[in-house]
Amino acid sequence: MSTLPGVVAINTFREAVRDRVLYNLIFFALMMIGAAILVGQISLGIERIVIVNLGLSAISIFGIIMAIFIGVGLVYKEMEKRTLYSILSKPIRRWEFLVGKFGGLLLTLVVNTSLMTLGLAVALWFVGRKFERPDATILVAVYFILLELALITALALFFSCFTSPMLSTLYTLGIYVAGVFAPGIMGISQFTPNPVLAAIARFVYYVLPNFHDFNVIASAAHGDAVPFTLIWHNTLYAVLYVILLLISASAVFSGRNLK
Amino acid sequence: MSTLTYNKSHFRAVLLALLAVPALFAILAVLQSRIDADTRLMTQGKEELLLRSGQLLKKLSMGYDPLLADIYWTQAVQYYGSRARKPGATYESLWPLLDITTTLDPKLMIAYRFGAIFLSEQAPAGAGRPDLAVDLVKRGIAENPDEWRLYQDLGFLYSIHLKDYQKASEAYLEGSKNPHAQIWMKVMAARVAETGNALETSRLIWSEVYATTKDDLVRRRALQHIHSLDAALGLKKLNESSEDYWRKFGRFPTTMQELRDAGLVGGTLADPEGYPYVMGPNGVPQLDPKSPIVLDPDQGPDKLR
Repeated sequence: MSTLPGVVAINTFREAVRDRVLYNLIFFALMMIGAAILVGQISLGIERIVIVNLGLSAISIFGIIMAIFIGVGLVYKEMEKRTLYSILSKPIRRWEFLVGKFGGLLLTLVVNTSLMTLGLAVALWFVGRKFERPDATILVAVYFILLELALITALALFFSCFTSPMLSTLYTLGIYVAGVFAPGIMGISQFTPNPVLAAIARFVYYVLPNFHDFNVIASAAHGDAVPFTLIWHNTLYAVLYVILLLISASAVFSGRNLK
Repeated sequence: MSTLTYNKSHFRAVLLALLAVPALFAILAVLQSRIDADTRLMTQGKEELLLRSGQLLKKLSMGYDPLLADIYWTQAVQYYGSRARKPGATYESLWPLLDITTTLDPKLMIAYRFGAIFLSEQAPAGAGRPDLAVDLVKRGIAENPDEWRLYQDLGFLYSIHLKDYQKASEAYLEGSKNPHAQIWMKVMAARVAETGNALETSRLIWSEVYATTKDDLVRRRALQHIHSLDAALGLKKLNESSEDYWRKFGRFPTTMQELRDAGLVGGTLADPEGYPYVMGPNGVPQLDPKSPIVLDPDQGPDKLR
């Protein structure tokens, strides 16, 4: 494999930084500082829980917004600005370009999430003055958020290969919301007396990316351990789903007439 | 890139997608089953609702409270359905789910009507909390005073579960004042007041539930109750025949055949599920041990004498 996807990835990351995407960190930092100061005044004995819930939820929401809104423009923007033509005139294959774009946005999200996690750690230190062993679950929760963001980025990139940013946003957001409610879809299959509907619900459950299983914020807030098997299975799930989406995106993008 | 190379690379990409995508989906489905098992272990024994305040949720819902109510109602049905009739099932989150649902959408009649049945049925078929069911229905009446069916539900709860026949009669009577109410509401009010604890009255009430409900789950439960009451009525009649036998022969019968030979009973002596009644000790008739019918505790053989 050539190093070209890496070059595209680095450039995508640089572009995101140039576009002041990481400015959201300032807002996050201010929010965490404010929360850390205020939470001691308004909550009784649950300062740590509030900070963890707030911090992880913010990391997830900021990440999702970034993944969707930047992800849907990854290919479209290059076509609009006509920079794609000069890139593809170089010895780079279309799938390499897509993998590079995906890697670049993922790198941006990793940097962004890492810095936010650092902010969360500082806020936690401020309210508790110590770290304990159960706090490690917070890192697992952050890791799961990153897996979720990787999946959303791949989804957004897939849609951006064949439709407009507006529609890509709607599709990605729709699939994300449906994936969050995946257990409800499985519930339909278990309780409906209609076997056809049950089969359809089961099919949809297994085909939709299941975002519900990436959410362990409640466990992190209460210091409950997350089984290692879940970490391993979720990792494999996210990696395989991302590969599936990138293959599909490559198939669509390779047939696209760019003239 | 030449057209030929472009076509070749597109063909390769599509071929790879056609082969890899179904295979990956199959692997992902297997993996999802494993993840389901992992998450089941994590959530086992935990019945936690993040937000228990319907009022707070209403504020947070930004005007989408009816939609949120529908989601909570679906959640309540799935919660109940996943536990109903499972030995040792508990229903700690049922009331909060119904409370939140009806706070978010006070007009959601189905939540009051079915929710009251889910709450009032004895475990493991329900939460065994008729008091909360009464609260729920009363809240429904306060929000929807024109819904006479809620008075029927209130009368049902008082007579069947709380055995408060005075209040049951009042509820039926109050509901019967609604111009849209069925005529039998008045009949029910009089009948419950006169013979509240009679098996025939209970049967009438359950028959009405069976005839009017649109939900299969509730209909099945109503039919079970009707069968149970019919069996109790059958046992009651057989017990009267057994006592006649004692008066005639100075001893209790030991088999059903003896009752039949004495000309005291005739026809098919079987419960509604088709299992023949059997004669127990001291001439007290009983259900066949293999019969799926479960009698209410206050209708068992020990209550016959």
